[in-house]
Amino acid sequence: MRGKTRADGGGGERVTDNVEGDMEAEQENQDVPKKGKIQGRKRTSAPDSVVKPVKLSRADLYKPPTNEELNQLKETENLFHSSLLRLQIEELLKEVKLKEKKKQKIDAFLHEIHTLLSAVPETPETDLVDQSWLPTDVKVPFLQVPFSVKGKFRFLPPAAVKVVGSYLLGTGIKPEINVDVALTMPRTILQDKDNLNQRYHRKRALYLAHIAHHFSKEKLFGSVRFTYMNSNHLKPILLLQPAGKDEKLVTVRLYACPTPGFFKPTRLYPSKNNVRTAWFLEQGSPGEGATEPPTPHYNNSILCDTVMESHLLFLSGAGADFPGMRDAVALLKVWLHQRELDKGLGCLSGFLASMLVAYLLAKHKISQGMSGYQVLRSVLQFLATTDLSATGISLSKDAESSLPTLADFHQAFDVVFVDPSGLVNLCADMTASKYKEVQFEAKRSMEVLDDRTVDGFQLLLMTPKPLVRTFDHVFHLKPVSKLQGACKKMQLLTELMDHGGNYVAAALPFVTSLLARGLAERVMLLTHSLPQAPQWPISAEPPKHKDAGHLSFGLLLTPEFAASILEKGPEADQPEAAEFRRFWGEKSELRRFQDGTICEAVVWGAETICQKRLIPEQIVKHLLWLHADIPASAISYTGAALESLIRAGPEPAGTGEEAMASIVRSYDDLSRKLWNLEGLPLTVTAVQGTHPALRYTDVFPPAPMKPDYSYHERMKAKESLLPLAEKPCPAYISPMKVVCHMEGSGQWPQDKEAIKRVKAAFHLRLAELLRQQHHLLCRPAATHTDVYKDGYVFRLQVAYHREPQILREVVTPEGMLKYRDTEDSQQLELETLHLPHLTSCLHGLQQQYPAFSGTSRLAKRWVRAQLLSDSLSEECVDLLAAFLFLHPAPFTPPSSPQVGFLRFLHLLAAFDWKNSPLIVNLNADLKDADYTEIRNHFVAARSHLPVMFVSTPRDQRSSVWTKERPSTQILQRLLVLALESLRALEKQLMDPLGSQDMKMVFRPPLDFYDILIHLNVKQIPRHLEGVDRPAKSFSRGMLKSDAPVKTLFFPVVGYDPVQYFLQELREAFGDLALFFYDSHGGEVIGVLWKPSSFEPQPFKVSF
Amino acid sequence: MAAPRRKRETGAAAPVGYTAIPIKLSEKQRSPHYLYVKEHKVREGTDTTHPPNRTLFVLNVPPYCTKACLSRLFSCCWSVQSVDVCEKPGPREKSEAPKSKFFNLKTVPGFRVAYVVFKNPTGIQAVKSLSLQGPLVISSESHPVKTGIRKWISSYAASVVDPVELKAEVDAFMQTYDQKIAEEEAKAEEEEGVPDEEGWVKVTRKGRRPGLPLTEAASLRVLEREKRKRARKELLNFYAWQHRETKRENIAQLRKKFEEDKQRIALMRAQRKFRPY
Repeated sequence: MRGKTRADGGGGERVTDNVEGDMEAEQENQDVPKKGKIQGRKRTSAPDSVVKPVKLSRADLYKPPTNEELNQLKETENLFHSSLLRLQIEELLKEVKLKEKKKQKIDAFLHEIHTLLSAVPETPETDLVDQSWLPTDVKVPFLQVPFSVKGKFRFLPPAAVKVVGSYLLGTGIKPEINVDVALTMPRTILQDKDNLNQRYHRKRALYLAHIAHHFSKEKLFGSVRFTYMNSNHLKPILLLQPAGKDEKLVTVRLYACPTPGFFKPTRLYPSKNNVRTAWFLEQGSPGEGATEPPTPHYNNSILCDTVMESHLLFLSGAGADFPGMRDAVALLKVWLHQRELDKGLGCLSGFLASMLVAYLLAKHKISQGMSGYQVLRSVLQFLATTDLSATGISLSKDAESSLPTLADFHQAFDVVFVDPSGLVNLCADMTASKYKEVQFEAKRSMEVLDDRTVDGFQLLLMTPKPLVRTFDHVFHLKPVSKLQGACKKMQLLTELMDHGGNYVAAALPFVTSLLARGLAERVMLLTHSLPQAPQWPISAEPPKHKDAGHLSFGLLLTPEFAASILEKGPEADQPEAAEFRRFWGEKSELRRFQDGTICEAVVWGAETICQKRLIPEQIVKHLLWLHADIPASAISYTGAALESLIRAGPEPAGTGEEAMASIVRSYDDLSRKLWNLEGLPLTVTAVQGTHPALRYTDVFPPAPMKPDYSYHERMKAKESLLPLAEKPCPAYISPMKVVCHMEGSGQWPQDKEAIKRVKAAFHLRLAELLRQQHHLLCRPAATHTDVYKDGYVFRLQVAYHREPQILREVVTPEGMLKYRDTEDSQQLELETLHLPHLTSCLHGLQQQYPAFSGTSRLAKRWVRAQLLSDSLSEECVDLLAAFLFLHPAPFTPPSSPQVGFLRFLHLLAAFDWKNSPLIVNLNADLKDADYTEIRNHFVAARSHLPVMFVSTPRDQRSSVWTKERPSTQILQRLLVLALESLRALEKQLMDPLGSQDMKMVFRPPLDFYDILIHLNVKQIPRHLEGVDRPAKSFSRGMLKSDAPVKTLFFPVVGYDPVQYFLQELREAFGDLALFFYDSHGGEVIGVLWKPSSFEPQPFKVSF
Repeated sequence: MAAPRRKRETGAAAPVGYTAIPIKLSEKQRSPHYLYVKEHKVREGTDTTHPPNRTLFVLNVPPYCTKACLSRLFSCCWSVQSVDVCEKPGPREKSEAPKSKFFNLKTVPGFRVAYVVFKNPTGIQAVKSLSLQGPLVISSESHPVKTGIRKWISSYAASVVDPVELKAEVDAFMQTYDQKIAEEEAKAEEEEGVPDEEGWVKVTRKGRRPGLPLTEAASLRVLEREKRKRARKELLNFYAWQHRETKRENIAQLRKKFEEDKQRIALMRAQRKFRPY
């Protein structure tokens, strides 16, 4: 027997899976109706929500193809990535495009508006400042600061009413259908010098106010409101919505425009001034001799109005014979919307997107035959590779020398994209950092599109990227009025004039460049939210600048540099040193470095890793205070909002990274000792840790412990301590499993019972040798040996590599030796093969991404806080967290636990568990072909597979970590909880004034359970790990780890009365109820009856 | 054993053929738990471990009621010879090896069934009268049953093994095992190359010319090798029909994929997966 089995390794696994699978299939089928009941509300129309392999008859598959079909197949191959993408895009466009029937309604509405407009009565001519003719229930939608201005105004019905913009081009998309209508103000309203000092803008506002006053009485409109065009407060517009049930259908936006040709373009060049300093500062007479600064943004805002119609003509010219353009613009709009780039001051609006497409067409970078998808790709490619903040582009064709050059535009604006007229900068309000973000997003998106293993459609167009979920650190400036002080400090009077007193817009570019310089290589990307103006009823005063809400900034950190505590400057005698000192203020000091140089440097105070993660916060607060007079109290910084949940003690304690590093050190030392043990009959071939602390994902890593004898009973004979019933139970010491592989040898018996005995003998021997050679306290048992080392307890388990195989052996009646998976063999394989491998992979991952540990632990903490500790395996959560780092698209790998956790919740809630396998490509071992194979296998065997299917390179087909749990119902509940938690948490994180109790989503709703079992807190060994730190704590019989006592008795290991209780409950009543518990110091056990428990059942002796 | 417990709610009425015996954990408990008992009757010869006439079949044994408890409870009727607690009713599996203190420890969880063997058949009759008396108490002062913390502490204490004892047991087991293996090998060697009465010689992995091992893996390997050999000989796209066939296959694949995609899309549409926001 012993000699013969050497030759046949492997082999048996593949066949065995099927047998297993068939058995599971039956169970699964019974589960299906239950599933339907739970979520019936959602899927009324979906008859069967699982994709099944298609079975086409032979005749269907092999019939001769028609020409048409061949063409279509070819086109799909050429124009799109795959047929799936093509179909997906078609569906998306169907969803967002306006239906023909709705268009008719809108057209009718527009006609009515047209007739009403010509009926608005005229008003007599008055001074601009004399607004008494306007009824008091309409307020001028303009911040008239300073108020006094020359000029006269009267209302006359518009000279022309024209629909412009996306509606006519067919590029408008749901859910916000806007129709832009340009009203041309008759020439007689305007006067010669209207381009000066906001006169034109005020006339515009009065013009719209008068119309609003009359329209508000009409029954036709459901609502008449004002807002600012693209949140630019110089440009109010009037919003009209139809009355009745179509109110939400459409918003008609009225723009007032000057008569074409009224303004001389030369006066509005970017280098010209049109806002006089004296007027703006309300000084009596203009300052003598001072040159007036240029006001490019102000000029641009007037010029915009003069070219609306010509832009429409230009775009419709480009879109003619180009069906792909319409689709492409719609797709681009969706893409922008998902990235929150399409709204607010300085956004990349849909209009701008159309212009970009037109530009590419004009430059022959795309052709009219391209599909929407191809155009989208080209636009993204263009954005990714072109930096409009350095090299602007222009649509202007004529090379007339009188027009301003691109260089002129760059002088005046951050981002340059000149329109066909050569006068207007379409990106005037965009900041350089916003454009950088667009570019960054475009680059990421191109990577996604080129990656064949991911579903690009889902990631690019269907996944929203809100600020808090995208950026590692987010901070809010609140109130924004602090920026007024910043403007003063940074001397931005010119910019203020240019932006008509909007200090947010004026200060923003300077604040971002300040921060970008300060954070330098610590951040990959720094961005800010776009200030957004609300809509307001016509009877209300227009919102002030400070009403723009708060301003949020997002930082994308570079893991290598973000946590460095040193900012090294130039050498002290260099001329740059003074500048460095000026920039960093008193934080800068002279330091001598190891290489002997003496340099200016800034050193940030941070001890632990979690403090180091927050160094960007220190920098931001310091710089904003130093250079912009913004106090730290006005900055609400959220980068570590959740870290108190994984902190082992009160504040100074770190978040576990250091603790785990010390465990790993101790473990490394132990494994070295094991390798070098003398006197073992076989050598140790490998030592592999499997405890989560050894892969940095233990929520609360074990702390070094020293037992206090007086709290324990002593078992003299066995050198062990026992808990005392009358004392609070001792602190929990988690044994850390370490698998110790022994060399294979002919000496190993080939019988499973005998192997067990040999392993026990090894455990005894290991304990003896470790004690003799290294003086470690050891306690052997049949299945393991516990080693007490540096205050930790390691549990050594000897493994023999052929044991799982031997457990699988089955001999058929013919004498054929077969291998069939058994429960024991699978369990053993899990413990000695899969888990060590996973642990080493994730250990590696942590070295690459320092935020992995925090992410995974927060995720586990959350799952357990929902009382689902035992419903989802620990390793499964680890893998989900690893997925976020290995496959971050459309995001970047998280660099802070907070953002990682948010994405974990999103992944849980948004992933299509039913129809897709979650593929975690650990060590990048999977190739493209493997992906396809896994997916195909998944579809073919879906009904046999676990509800949550997680595939890794070493476990492609069976998803070992989710096999037993979660069940369908638990998964369902988990998804609901994740969705709710995500919503609540993101709301809290985006609200700088809120109560900020981030722990809210970690407190489970208890009203959901039928019974609550409240536990005696004295007997909860991990009570201190609770979400809310208990007010009263007990002494748990442990000395300080540095107490000068030598431990001679083995401490109590792995003793948790709550777990024993739970086990007994489950054993006794598992068929009647489900038990839920938070293993981190939960005080209650939630009990839920199974629905079948209360149905009468026939008496049965056995079942 | 969910069913019998539910019956209890309707009172002490036992199912047909059974007698309900009320028991209590301690005097403090107010409502009793019921054991359902009847005489153990099976067809002749199917159950050898539990002798007919003197065996009592007990249902709904609670987890805190151990073998010793049962033995003590029923000893008031007649002296008990043995008690057998198991998860499901049925004859006991033959325990092959002498029970080990360290290996293959199995406890029967939850509510169980038990077989109580009396020394005398009269015990059975006496039991039936128990139902009329007050509840029997499992944990008395003289015989306390450990529960909760005390129980867990004692089971923790039991899990700490004595290395010397363990070593002795392992050594003993291995000695017998080695002996057994040695005997088997000696026997095999004796039969090596010796034809049986019909003249057949058994080929083993030992000896001068070892045969293929009779395992699934080995036979699969042989099949695989055959297949590869055949594939090497075959020429691909050599004949026109082969070429045609490949093309046809290609189109069929595309079609199949297309159909699958369509199905997927229909599904996503039904789930409103195309609403971007």
